[in-house]
Amino acid sequence: MGIDIRKIDEIIERYDKSEESLLAILQDFQHTFRYVPEEGMKRVSEVLGVPESKIYGVGTFYKALSLKPVGRHTCKVCTGTACHLKGAHTLTDIIGKELGVEPGGTTKDGRFTLQTVNCVGACALAPVVMVDDEDYYEGSSPQDVLKNLRKYK
Amino acid sequence: MVNRKLQSVAALESYRAKIAESQKNEYPVIYVCGGTPCLAKGSSAVAEAFKKEIESQGLACKIELRHKVTGCQGFCSKGPVVSFGNDIVYLEVKPEHVPEIIEKTVKNGQVIESLGYKDPQTKKRSASFQGIPFYAHQKGMILKGLREIDPFEIDDYIARGGYASLAKAFSIDPDKIIDMITESGLRGRGGGGFPAGTKWRSCRAIDSEVRYVLCNGDEGDPGAFMDRSIMEGNPHAVIEGMIVGAWAVGAHHGYAYIRDEYPLAVKVMKKAVEDATAMGLLGKNILGTGFDFDIKITRGGGAFVCGESSALMRSIEGKVGEPRAKYIRSVEKGLYDLPTVLNNVETWANVPLIINNGPQWYRETGTEGSPGTKVFSLAGKAVNTGLVEVPMGTTIRELVEKVGGGIRSGRMFKAVQTGGPSGGCIPESLADLPIDFDSLSKAGSMMGSGGIIVMDEATCMVDVAKYFISFLAEESCGKCTPCRDGLPRMKQILTDITEGRGKEGDIELLEELCDVLSYGALCGLGSSAPNPVLSTIKYFREEYEAHIRDRRCPAGVCRNLVTFHIDADACTGCTLCAKQCPQACITGERKKAHVIDQSRCIKCGVCRDVCKFDAVRVE
Amino acid sequence: MEKITIKINGKDIEAVKDQSVLEVARENGFAIPALCFHPEIETRAGSCRVCLVEVSQNGRTRLVTSCNYPVRKGLEVRTDTDLVRRIRKGVVELLLSRTPDSPVIQKLARENGIEKSRFFVDEGEHYRNRCIACSLCTQVCEEVVGVSAISMLDRGRDKAPGTPYLKPSQVCIGCGACAYACPTDAISMIDEGEVRKIWGREFKMVTCSVCGKPYIPEAQVDWIVKTTGKDRSFFDKCPDHR
Ligand SMILES: Cc1cc2nc3c(=O)[nH]c(=O)nc-3n(C[C@H](O)[C@H](O)[C@H](O)COP(=O)(O)O)c2cc1C
Ligand code: SF4
Ligand code: SF4
Ligand code: SF4
Ligand code: SF4
Ligand code: FES
Ligand code: FES
Ligand code: FES
Repeated sequence: MGIDIRKIDEIIERYDKSEESLLAILQDFQHTFRYVPEEGMKRVSEVLGVPESKIYGVGTFYKALSLKPVGRHTCKVCTGTACHLKGAHTLTDIIGKELGVEPGGTTKDGRFTLQTVNCVGACALAPVVMVDDEDYYEGSSPQDVLKNLRKYK
Repeated sequence: MVNRKLQSVAALESYRAKIAESQKNEYPVIYVCGGTPCLAKGSSAVAEAFKKEIESQGLACKIELRHKVTGCQGFCSKGPVVSFGNDIVYLEVKPEHVPEIIEKTVKNGQVIESLGYKDPQTKKRSASFQGIPFYAHQKGMILKGLREIDPFEIDDYIARGGYASLAKAFSIDPDKIIDMITESGLRGRGGGGFPAGTKWRSCRAIDSEVRYVLCNGDEGDPGAFMDRSIMEGNPHAVIEGMIVGAWAVGAHHGYAYIRDEYPLAVKVMKKAVEDATAMGLLGKNILGTGFDFDIKITRGGGAFVCGESSALMRSIEGKVGEPRAKYIRSVEKGLYDLPTVLNNVETWANVPLIINNGPQWYRETGTEGSPGTKVFSLAGKAVNTGLVEVPMGTTIRELVEKVGGGIRSGRMFKAVQTGGPSGGCIPESLADLPIDFDSLSKAGSMMGSGGIIVMDEATCMVDVAKYFISFLAEESCGKCTPCRDGLPRMKQILTDITEGRGKEGDIELLEELCDVLSYGALCGLGSSAPNPVLSTIKYFREEYEAHIRDRRCPAGVCRNLVTFHIDADACTGCTLCAKQCPQACITGERKKAHVIDQSRCIKCGVCRDVCKFDAVRVE
Repeated sequence: MEKITIKINGKDIEAVKDQSVLEVARENGFAIPALCFHPEIETRAGSCRVCLVEVSQNGRTRLVTSCNYPVRKGLEVRTDTDLVRRIRKGVVELLLSRTPDSPVIQKLARENGIEKSRFFVDEGEHYRNRCIACSLCTQVCEEVVGVSAISMLDRGRDKAPGTPYLKPSQVCIGCGACAYACPTDAISMIDEGEVRKIWGREFKMVTCSVCGKPYIPEAQVDWIVKTTGKDRSFFDKCPDHR
């Protein structure tokens, strides 16, 4: 996969050259490339002077970071407490069946990555489905959610 | 950008007077809620409609009007919420209501009762904060700002008395400030309820050039969103508190650690820090006093354990968020091994109130041991859910029945869960317990950060315990044996019970593991993990036994132990369930009783949830 | 160095302030099991939790890990109370479920009166094998060797040490210090003729010019020469023949 090294450097440039910036840089990689590429971690290691082993350790520890590319859209089903009580797990199963993936997986065409997350702060809508961290859907009628998901190309 | 730096305390006051004056000339302000749930329910379209209507009517010249987008107004379950400065509040507002609102309320000051709250019992409508039980039983010390302030406008905050506590604080000796905080009895709102004054004092006492002040905005509790709402709705209150804290302990650098899943909170807080810096309220030589203090925003990485203090500090340092043994406390050796004060978002937001009004005033609210108010995110099976603030000492029953309006669809109130994964379940029989740090701990739960989940008879307590343990097993950092290897085993036992493979002795085995975690785990995640299990065993043991001995789930939740069928007498043939069933295994003609094909039913419970006639039964 | 007196199991013991309880206890003949403790490593992660003891100070009694609990004046330590035994036994039973094939853990289990774990057992799961995730190996590599070739990866029950990207590390010098430090012998290091295999990489060994035994990886020699300025010829002979 071709990752533009200039983009990597641009991101690193935004931050102080200290270990403290590590997590923020990796998160920016995640937002820009939809994953944290190996090339990026290597480069960060050179620039910040932090051993690659530590960077990789951080990369595997935090859930906000993914070492494999995620889909064009992310569909996050909230499985927080309020959502759980209102059937979030069933909803996850139903969406997973529609998309043909397990939570954490990405559809073959790269359109969607399905994830489960904890409370997204919209419990009043429980169970909540959040697409691309922007659009929130009330999940009490699963069929309506599926209809909405079909809008994303 | 013009230099807006305020050079002195006096400059702040004259600036405040100036904006207050300019805002006074304005006409009624329409507050459109911009919290996440309201946005999801279409509040931006409502705000847009207001803007259009105001423009098209040319109101701008006659009555000068603004509409404002605020933080969460609390009543999320009835969003979009629109309110006016004069006690009027409308719920579930749609764009088509806008012309009427402009005509009646804005131009003529009339109240449109039909847009108010309908009491489910009396069917009476009310469109006033005082007339709506959800609001009437609250006390909005912290949340008031969220309803009135545009979080992106520092002027809005300053006009309402913002940053006034700095003027006062800078004229008081830091030790005296700490005395004030101690006298106020302020306790940490992040869960533990540790006295803030004591923490600040110990930090100040350590001899060190550098100290840090941190804000914990990680809010990892999977059923809570108060800190999010505060950061999104009134960020300057948090920043102001942190500046006072920094002055008191002698710190010049601060960090706010904010959960990555809250992009809006990050954005709002970043903007607030920039604005405060531009105005000379943060940075070098604050208000010309010679005091320096800056705040950096760190985004969390999606790990519950990073809410734990030592893990949070490692995470700010750019490391893996693993906790450390705290035999030496973090006020002594915290961030970069230097003295550090860490407080929760809501704790910080309380600080300006105490400085402005004095500790005695603060103690007038709440209880002796837990003064002040507490913000909760009320969620679950209550009629009204959302963000609420009540004085400490309010009973669970008052919160659930008055503010929450009781249980949805007339079911029975069974329990509340407080404190998230570190807390426990408190049964209805103890609902008259006052909500404060000590009473909740005594009952085997804890205050936690403030998630309150209301549970009804259709909530299975074994399932709840399994839910929290699974959550914690996923979130365990993996450093220490009891938590890393104990939680997956507890999860397995609980799964076996809920799936009909429970054995005699399982409850005792769980209790044994709980002990190993409480005593043996390295950090609070592991050592408080037993709470959800022990509290449900303590109060709902018979439910565990029903699963194990009779292979029965009394609440009708555990899929392997129940069957769904439709009561032909109650079914009106509305077809709703058939439309929503993911298996399409419900058949029946319109207006005739429907039937479930048991061989294909996956027991998801959707039909039961959507049925308006309570015709779907589970056994 | 401030000398203080503490009590262990009722006996007065002299100690140096801030020494760990474990070290003081062991110096004075009290047996406390420990897995993630290594005298040469400063980071005391306190992860295995088998070294638990009960301490009382300022009227407060609690269980702590002795390997990283600093001794202070007036401290009272009990190494063998019912609570200590019960919780330690629980911890060891969990370790036995995690690494049932480890002889070290099996022995510790027997010593704590455990025949067999009552919980489900992780059997030969992926790369972690007999690893109890104590992180000693990564600390040795970082703090003692100074290379940081490996780190602890993942979280929760998947936590285990590994190289970046799970590929052979470019910076590892094949010294094997990690494998020697591992309390459960979980790191595979195989010396075959002139080749050492560790962490998925093969290292060519230097042979002793006297006995002809391959005894140190070339990469390690390079590293020592680079960091200490020692003369390369020093490594012509193995330590036995220098
Ligand atoms: C596993 C774990 C998670 C925690 N999560 C949070 C959190 O999300 N927010 C928070 O404010 N405190 C959290 N805490 C409590 C913090 O460690 C700390 O006590 C608190 O932030 C101190 O601030 P306070 O005294 O103002 O409450 C957590 C503690 C543990 C053990
Ligand atoms: S208790 Fe859990 S989260 Fe805390 S250090 Fe141990 S493994 Fe990590
Ligand atoms: S429980 Fe779910 S699958 Fe079964 S009939 Fe009802 S809606 Fe359909
Ligand atoms: S063999 Fe490699 S990984 Fe192990 S201690 Fe030596 S350099 Fe580090
Ligand atoms: S390989 Fe050995 S030293 Fe390294 S973490 Fe595992 S048990 Fe500890
Ligand atoms: S639990 Fe799902 S949004 Fe809060
Ligand atoms: S988001 Fe509007 S009331 Fe909560
Ligand atoms: S030896 Fe002390 S915790 Fe491992």
